[in-house]
Amino acid sequence: MELLRPSSVEELDGGILLHGGTEVVPLLREGLLTADRLVDIREVVPRGIHDGTIGAGTTLAELEVEPAIPDALREACRLAASPQLRNMSSLGGNLLQATRCWYWRLGYRCRLQGGDRCHAREGEHREHAIFANGFCASAHPSDVAAALVALGGRLRTNRRELAVEELYRLPDEADRSTTTLESGELLLEVELPAVEASTYLKATDRKRWSFPQVGVAAARHADGSTRIALAGVAPIPWRIESVEDLDAATPLPRTEWKVPLARALVRRALAALA
Amino acid sequence: MARLIRTEKEVEGRFEEVWIVVEEDPLEQWPEGPLAVVGRPAPRQDGHQRVRGEARYTADIRLPGMLHAAVLRSTYAHAKVQRIDLAPALALPGVRAAIGPGEAHGLVEEAGFAGAPVAAVAADTFAQARAAIEAIEMEWEELEVVLDPDAAVRRELLTAEPRSYERGDVERALAEADVVVEATYRTQTVLHNSLETHQAICEWQGDMLHVYISTQYIWGVRQAVAETLGLPEDKVRVVCEFMGGGFGSKNGPDEYTYVAAELAKRTGRPVRCALTRREENTSAGNRNATIQRLRGGARSDGTIVALDGEFTNSVGWSGWNASTEGPMRMLYDCENVRTVTYGAQLNTPPMKAFRAPGFVEGTFGLECLVDELAARLDVDPLELRRRNYASSNEGTPYSSKNLEECYRRAEPHWERRHEVRTRSDAVWKRGVGMASQIWYGGGGPPSYAWVRLGSDGRATVITAMQDIGTGTRTAMAQIAAEELGVPLGQVDVVLGDSARGAYASISAGSSTLPSMGPAVRAAAADAREQVEDIAEQRGMPKDTPLEEIVAVLEESQILGKGARGPNPAGMSVLTFGVHVVEVAVDVETGEVQVERVAAIHDVGRIINPLGASSQVEGGIIQGIGHTLSEERLLDPETGGVLTSSLDAYRMPTIADVPEIVCEFVDRPDEHLTNLGSKGLGEPPIVPIAAAIANAIRDATGADVHQLPISREEMLRALREADERARVSEKEKRGAPAAV
Repeated sequence: MELLRPSSVEELDGGILLHGGTEVVPLLREGLLTADRLVDIREVVPRGIHDGTIGAGTTLAELEVEPAIPDALREACRLAASPQLRNMSSLGGNLLQATRCWYWRLGYRCRLQGGDRCHAREGEHREHAIFANGFCASAHPSDVAAALVALGGRLRTNRRELAVEELYRLPDEADRSTTTLESGELLLEVELPAVEASTYLKATDRKRWSFPQVGVAAARHADGSTRIALAGVAPIPWRIESVEDLDAATPLPRTEWKVPLARALVRRALAALA
Repeated sequence: MARLIRTEKEVEGRFEEVWIVVEEDPLEQWPEGPLAVVGRPAPRQDGHQRVRGEARYTADIRLPGMLHAAVLRSTYAHAKVQRIDLAPALALPGVRAAIGPGEAHGLVEEAGFAGAPVAAVAADTFAQARAAIEAIEMEWEELEVVLDPDAAVRRELLTAEPRSYERGDVERALAEADVVVEATYRTQTVLHNSLETHQAICEWQGDMLHVYISTQYIWGVRQAVAETLGLPEDKVRVVCEFMGGGFGSKNGPDEYTYVAAELAKRTGRPVRCALTRREENTSAGNRNATIQRLRGGARSDGTIVALDGEFTNSVGWSGWNASTEGPMRMLYDCENVRTVTYGAQLNTPPMKAFRAPGFVEGTFGLECLVDELAARLDVDPLELRRRNYASSNEGTPYSSKNLEECYRRAEPHWERRHEVRTRSDAVWKRGVGMASQIWYGGGGPPSYAWVRLGSDGRATVITAMQDIGTGTRTAMAQIAAEELGVPLGQVDVVLGDSARGAYASISAGSSTLPSMGPAVRAAAADAREQVEDIAEQRGMPKDTPLEEIVAVLEESQILGKGARGPNPAGMSVLTFGVHVVEVAVDVETGEVQVERVAAIHDVGRIINPLGASSQVEGGIIQGIGHTLSEERLLDPETGGVLTSSLDAYRMPTIADVPEIVCEFVDRPDEHLTNLGSKGLGEPPIVPIAAAIANAIRDATGADVHQLPISREEMLRALREADERARVSEKEKRGAPAAV
């Protein structure tokens, strides 16, 4: 295996991209990812915050103490993973992390692995989705993604600009991917509009190093609108307009408990913005 | 003088009648209370070694020329090997040997669970060995899979005969009781998750087999390996200097040891076989799940008149039927008790002992049932426990029991409940709960130690025991220092090698200190008496410091020898305690926070109060994980373990740890050994789950009947309590209850 350390975007030429390594290294170790070439992109991806633009290479640890960013993002970073992981992991890598579905992580031939069934739907799924779970019941694990969607963040890649929520797509029969990222495309920066208030609330089963059972990000924008995005409830970050939208949830037998939990957290988040 | 006795030997609540040679234990116990060294807090003697990374664990050992083994495991929960071809594995680079079913003890042809070991490969690197495992060609015949414990019991698929017990007449007592409570409690399967995974390195030197292994029982490994491989025991040397956790799962050698020994034999090289984290969590044991169908009856004066329990242990493919019924039999003075315990044989990974096996699960059921009885009787839960205090173990006297004193010391903590409740608000409800603890922990013979004294005045304790991370080295050094009358810093402890010391106890069943401590004291006393003889012959005054006396020794040495004496005949040696827990429950989100735990334990004399508190804290933290967040999940279709990684299997983090207050009764057991000390490894994990559940009921009125008390279970229990309250409100208003 070779490790490349390019210093500009132009030098990129295939391989598995590696930043903090907190996701890629475990996937390599588990055999879920194979690579002949690893590309360390730490010299390529911008890092730090400049005029409301956040480099995708900024670590979660740097963001969680950054007063210039909205509360929702700071809280999402602070509540993510563990201090050791946050010291290493980048904002961009966090947005692109794979599902925590145990079937996927164990290499079961599920739909996301190119197979023809979702093992979690009929099997053990107590941590899985309550929305959009017909094809794949995985629950999106990124606190940061939910916060950025609620904040209305925009991404700049080496090829295009897009809303953060446009980075994600529900997998289907024809395309099993949960992101719209193209081959060779690299997240470079996130731009955040100014918001009046924002918050992120997270339910976990232990106080640290836990992915969201349900995470709720909410932001009140300058035009008076409120955007709500949830983590841990659908295969991708999930937007709802109001607490009533949770009535439309389609939980699996053992994810029903997430619906009242999400309701309570959404109410609290909205109350916190008021 | 040595004598032969027939005695009952107890480990982890399992008894067997054995003949053993024991030596008399003529030493008088020390007076109660802190002494010069014993009874005073001592930091771990090996603390610096550990934090500097100098302590050599089995996982650190790299022998010259060492090969790495990987194990092929069944992905089927129940299947038989039809065909296996190792040749493709042997053809790969770096591969030195490969073995299949029957070629090493533990490699099986019929896999009874997903994760059962079938074949193994040794290669120059672990990556090569893993790649070779993938190349082995297999054909399987799939067999019927049974995962449901109730179905297994119905079909009599059991690991052993059901165990029945009865005293008095339970049915009549229940019929005559003023109040009867009936409930089903369920506990989940949890994983030991030792930081150091199960592993061994085997090396042959001539006909001598050296086994470096992460183990709780050096001598048990020696005996089992010798027997299995047909070697004289003295041809097996077992080494374990430092150990990264076992919790009951490392009491003997397993397939990894035999795989390493066989591959080492075939290759003429040392072979390391170390489980990965995923293997650790599929194949190295677990605390089995239980179903407990319980009934309790009481008179209105608070006398518990009947206890009835049907217990099902989901043992797995193999393992033993732990005493889940033990607390129901032993904790209270109840005339009518009936239990039956089934061990369901399932196509799931085998159970292994896990810190007070059976009693942790059984105490959850029993102590929740007792609190539900207290609620129905409208009797204070502490008062109800006192009213049913047992004064003997079914007629056998206790060697010592100070549970009443534990209750007395629990009072100020229990009194806090009034103030704790007032700190509730609309969302966070606060309450206090308690539970009692009963468990074994007396240890027993045989166990030996030597003490060597040189002219520099330093003493070395030598015994081939293991320190499983509980502070054993420190406690043994304290005992020797106290007996010799020297400062703690003048005593070294050498342990961890069967070739360098005499037989020593297993470190399981809370037995290390009560088994080994008295032997170490006896050896130190033997050395001290020899020193006193020398002083007398030289006409030195009685209070001459030891250093001065031994200074004349030059190359001569004083060698003291000690043995563990017998346990008191005709007595039950048990440990007791009580936990008082304060919780806060977010009734909208189902979040449970344990805010404070007061733990009062009665384990005889405390040797090292600092080490003892550390044990209690560890037990409580592990117990909080068991109670709130840990659960091994299986795929219901394949029986494969889904939570085999540390991110999927949720052990508590340090942020989840509440305020913990430790108290010890610290009264020597006057009948037990020359120390009067019992073990403390297991007691602190026994009552915590029930105390938390009872605090949740106090806070919210919700009955939780299932572990873990996840948000799912908590929200369910809250909803049920809400519905119950609505129905009773309607009844109060005179409206008919909904049918």
